[in-house]
Amino acid sequence: MAAEKAPEIDGVAEVASEVAAGDPPAGDPAGSTAEPVIVAHDLGVKYSLRFTRKTTLHRTFTNLLKRQDGPSDFWALQHFDLELRKGQSLGVIGPNGAGKSTLLQVLAGILTPSQGTVEVRGAISSLLTLGAGFDQELTGRENILLAGAFMGLDHREMEARMEDIIAFTDIGEFIDAPIKTYSSGMRARLGFSIATSVDPDVLLLDEVLSTGDQLFRAKSKARVLELVTSAKAIVLVTHDLQWVTEFCNRAILLEHGATVSAGEPTAVVQLHQERMEEERQRKVAEIRRYGGVVSR
Amino acid sequence: MSATTPDAAFHSSATRPGPIGLITEGILDIWSRRRLIRYLVRADLKKRGTDTLFGNVWWVIDPLLLMIVYVVMVTVIVQKTDPDYPLFIFCAILPWKWFTASVTDSIGSVSGQERLIKQLHFPKVVFPVASTVSEIAGFLFGLIPLFTLMLLFYRDRFSPWILLIPAVAFVQFFFTLAISFLFSAVNVFYRDVANVSRHFLRLWFYLSPGLYSLKQVDKIAAQNPIVGQLMALNPFATFFESYRNVIYNGTGPLWGHLAGWLLASLAIGALTLLFFKRTEPSFAKVL
Repeated sequence: MAAEKAPEIDGVAEVASEVAAGDPPAGDPAGSTAEPVIVAHDLGVKYSLRFTRKTTLHRTFTNLLKRQDGPSDFWALQHFDLELRKGQSLGVIGPNGAGKSTLLQVLAGILTPSQGTVEVRGAISSLLTLGAGFDQELTGRENILLAGAFMGLDHREMEARMEDIIAFTDIGEFIDAPIKTYSSGMRARLGFSIATSVDPDVLLLDEVLSTGDQLFRAKSKARVLELVTSAKAIVLVTHDLQWVTEFCNRAILLEHGATVSAGEPTAVVQLHQERMEEERQRKVAEIRRYGGVVSR
Repeated sequence: MSATTPDAAFHSSATRPGPIGLITEGILDIWSRRRLIRYLVRADLKKRGTDTLFGNVWWVIDPLLLMIVYVVMVTVIVQKTDPDYPLFIFCAILPWKWFTASVTDSIGSVSGQERLIKQLHFPKVVFPVASTVSEIAGFLFGLIPLFTLMLLFYRDRFSPWILLIPAVAFVQFFFTLAISFLFSAVNVFYRDVANVSRHFLRLWFYLSPGLYSLKQVDKIAAQNPIVGQLMALNPFATFFESYRNVIYNGTGPLWGHLAGWLLASLAIGALTLLFFKRTEPSFAKVL
């Protein structure tokens, strides 16, 4: 159960927002008596628009002088509640910019909540994007060790898994060549093999199934299914709605950082499709209003 | 709270450790990820060895060329210089190059890892530490031209004191690390730290007794006490003078000052590490 804590002011960000409990997720299809693995309560993630990657001293000073009053914060996720139990796999769907990736990042511990709490019990593996930590000059073998060290795994453990990872990657003697000589497909395969070599309790997946060639895609799908069956819980972010209806026993539809619907995957996916269609119709109407031609 | 956390990972907007807790956490981060730091250092050294035609040879030639530039410049402007002037300034160029290279590397060390930081939860403090550690190699390579220079031209300046170079370097390392924590974190929020620091560092060098001796500063300080007080606040007055003592003068380093700067560096390092840990949660958002 989530500890009942009043949402407090973020250490770095500043605006305290009012306490408002979001709607608790509806239906709890599978294993409502099993132990909870992820508990999120009134979760919120706020981005400050004052600091972006392009901020310079010059910009800050001019902003100070001009006293710009525009919005200084943006909530990528707000009033989000979730209780995921052992054996559940949750599909998160929604349009671009709905806060899906932010949700995964906060579950993975990459982002600290600006509001509320999140508790994840057990080892997490986040297959967000593959091969982010690769060093171009190092060989495949050295990069496996480097990636393991980034993930905080013991090097002996990583060395023990080495051969399995290499076998799954299937890139032959390239494993001893620097990564810079790899094709993008080879790099993705190595990344996928490393990320899935750990056996986590909680698996976070973000659109990882579209890497590599067809053979590898089939192979990786099988590997993910294997992990799905062995992991305690899964959170999957994808645009592939078929995955959600096929492999998830729960689904959430996110829009503008808030839960629109939660429950049975087929129902949630259907709602999402209806809303997407509505949105498309609205856009078409707008294009027509500006005298544009809608191409089919 | 890494990829494999045996216990529950609990993230809350409300729970934040206090200053002491954060500093301890930072030190534990570095210790527990020492192997990662080692891998990063190795990768960095490998990169620099293969990037250029001469590879590591540049680490030897570079300080020599810099020395020649300064010798020409200063002898033209001042005319009367300290005896064995090339060696005199080499004692300052070598540690200064180490310091600036470490700081410059650290500045971009966190902001350059944008992709990884957004995708994995791990202690970001490994980056400035790895940058600072890997620059030790540059300093070590710089000792080759130093000893060559001394063997060829200044053999009579050798003394057993020269073995104390690591003692001075030890203190300088902790001071450098303290600065690296700060700059690497600030650069995430303000991308022009690199531009500002370049000029700031150059000014700092000219204000330190590198091209001139501390005695010359003392002369000015006799009329203008503020100069002397400011110089006492400059760690590189102590470092340069100590290196020069053990290499050039054949005497001991400034033990008292060094001890003072070691303590000060640890204190500053604790504060800058605290700053780093405080800002760390927002790195993934800003980048």
